[in-house]
Amino acid sequence: MSYYDIDSILTDAQKLPCTFELEVPGLGILEGNPGEDIKPGTRIDLPLWLGEMLSIGARLGTSRLVTLDMPDALSERVMNALKAEPRTVDLRALAAHFYSLSERVLELFEEEEMVDVLSETFKRRAAEIADQAHNPRGAVGEGVEFLRGLDETERQLFRAAHDRAKEMRIWSGEAKRK
Amino acid sequence: MAFPLPRGITPSEIAFLAEMEMVTVVPRQRLEGLELLGGLVEPLVPPRRASIPLWLALLLKRQRRANIMPPAWLHPEPLGLILEVESQHQDYKNAFSPPPPLPGQPSVRDRDLEPTARPQYTPDGDRYYAAPPFLPQNTAQPVSSFSREPPALPFHWVEVSNMLLDAASDDLVDPDQIRRQLKDLREVRMAKMRSGVDVLDAAATGGGGVALTGVGAMEVGEERGFVAGVVDNLRKIGASKEQARREQMAEQRANGGYDGTQDEEEDYMEF
Amino acid sequence: MDIDDILASVDRGAGASPESAALDHQLLTRFWVAERAVSEVLPWPVPLMERMMERVRRQIETIEDLAASSADTDSSITTTTTHNPNLNLRLSILQTDLARTQYLLRSLLRQRLSKLSKHSMHYLVQLASRNKNPLLASSSSQPTQTTTSSSQASTQNLHPQDSVPDISAVSDPTPLSQPEAAFLHAHQSLLAGHYAGSFLGAFPRQLRRLDDNAGGTSMIQAPETREVVFVRCLGVEVPVAVGTADADGMEDDDEEEIGVTMRMGDVWVVRWEGCESELQLCSPVPPFHA
Repeated sequence: MSYYDIDSILTDAQKLPCTFELEVPGLGILEGNPGEDIKPGTRIDLPLWLGEMLSIGARLGTSRLVTLDMPDALSERVMNALKAEPRTVDLRALAAHFYSLSERVLELFEEEEMVDVLSETFKRRAAEIADQAHNPRGAVGEGVEFLRGLDETERQLFRAAHDRAKEMRIWSGEAKRK
Repeated sequence: MAFPLPRGITPSEIAFLAEMEMVTVVPRQRLEGLELLGGLVEPLVPPRRASIPLWLALLLKRQRRANIMPPAWLHPEPLGLILEVESQHQDYKNAFSPPPPLPGQPSVRDRDLEPTARPQYTPDGDRYYAAPPFLPQNTAQPVSSFSREPPALPFHWVEVSNMLLDAASDDLVDPDQIRRQLKDLREVRMAKMRSGVDVLDAAATGGGGVALTGVGAMEVGEERGFVAGVVDNLRKIGASKEQARREQMAEQRANGGYDGTQDEEEDYMEF
Repeated sequence: MDIDDILASVDRGAGASPESAALDHQLLTRFWVAERAVSEVLPWPVPLMERMMERVRRQIETIEDLAASSADTDSSITTTTTHNPNLNLRLSILQTDLARTQYLLRSLLRQRLSKLSKHSMHYLVQLASRNKNPLLASSSSQPTQTTTSSSQASTQNLHPQDSVPDISAVSDPTPLSQPEAAFLHAHQSLLAGHYAGSFLGAFPRQLRRLDDNAGGTSMIQAPETREVVFVRCLGVEVPVAVGTADADGMEDDDEEEIGVTMRMGDVWVVRWEGCESELQLCSPVPPFHA
């Protein structure tokens, strides 16, 4: 994670399902019950940074406070949909920082197959992004829907490709400078 | 600190670079030799041909002080041949047509010959190997004048042709035909570039890479941000896997079993 | 080369011949392309830049002399127009050539300053650790290590400015030039002072540092060396190094692993860390990188 990177900070604020293993006095505020205790087995969605911190005991070999689960955005259902047709899934609706979230989650869980599915997804969608970005008439029809469903990483990719294509057209005289 | 340009030079800067290419001119007036910061400019004596940087040739052309001889490749015939290789040839279905060889590099027709890299030496004693725009790839006749050499698109083909069509189309043979051929070339090569997303994983791992041999400067410039963005994200997605692979390799090496070549086949993909 | 040219070049001192002007121009151009492309600040080529600046200075003089004689010409049109009809043309060519070179230099310097301000703490720590203490330097390629030790040493520090490493004793500013090193320190000190005045001063003392790495995230951001670049292979064969800057930051310089091999004339997309050490043999391909 980069200290000054807004996207990286926003990624860390995305939520992950956590299950408490121990009773924690006074932490009921996380469930919306200020002053109460948290019972073992309670499931709450916590921001990535907090969940990671609380689960750290697991790595140190001592008893941990919480166990982490896969976020819904990376559930098996989503993976299957991505395997079937990556271009029709609205990633933005799943998580605004879908890929950054995946990268952080993959640091915590060992999921080799997920790496493959996500890489393949990203490549297929990137090819579509390139086509859309080079269309001088702008997005039309299904393209609009697809572009709306891009996550933050993909949006930046679209912007990079689009800006360069435009600069090229300006340089070669095909388009006018603003 | 305000520096407005993104990293990686922009299309106008790539064109600026292409203006350093040497072209052949036929001067229409005399001009004594000049010592420029970019090097010596030979005296211009009509009707003797001279090699000068493209920016200077364009400056003289606009003032009607010289005519520019089209680069050897910028004629309908060689362009037709290149277009054929680019769109029909089986070997180049997923690759760009071969670029002009570097000094010391054998022609594509002599694949078996060993290349020899010939360095110059800098005033500080370092080796220096010239590369475009500082090779005579856009002069009227290739300096090697090896007629066996098949026509090839130089590295700065998009920029040089665009500028010549713009400022010196009356010096070109059949400029309309050339314009059409260049457009076709752009399209067939752009499609190849685009279909390459599939193999970009190879560049996302340490020690890996993707070959784009034959690509033009402006073509790289156009796709640079995109390609880098794709590879960057593929690297991040695969980071945990790469880490695992590294650990495995370190372990194998510790056991004396790693020979350093195991992934070569997988990664060496011609694109 | 003509014997007269050789004598002339000897007269003007080493590196002043037109041939070396052309070569230096090529070197400067390649350096500009590379600097504009990669994430790191490249080593400042001291002799090359000294020759370039000297040549630019002389060229400006030449142009001024020529312009002065052109002004003389205007005042006595009748006598000299036939003498040198090309004066204005020559002048405009020389000026264009000068402007092109100045563009390269300016763009190069601005790109370097932008990297230095972006990664200011990284480069300051690098300079300070390399030059100050040889014992520390041997193990300090990791900024985080030096940071931890320095923050332990001065937990009671009062101002954000105190976390700006002192580089006044630094004799070798590589990869920076001396003026760049001075800029870097002045820039970061001003910035730290500004932060202190506008908000950090109101924070508890232990939270005022600019080089903290609490919570596993270092405030010092190094350039990303795993970004890809476009390179052309100019040697017969150039292997791509696997690179050692992995997540754990383990360094094993003595045994560098090798991946794919590029062949002469090839253009490849590879990681910057994979070809960094071979920059003489693989020239940056213009946009070179993102």
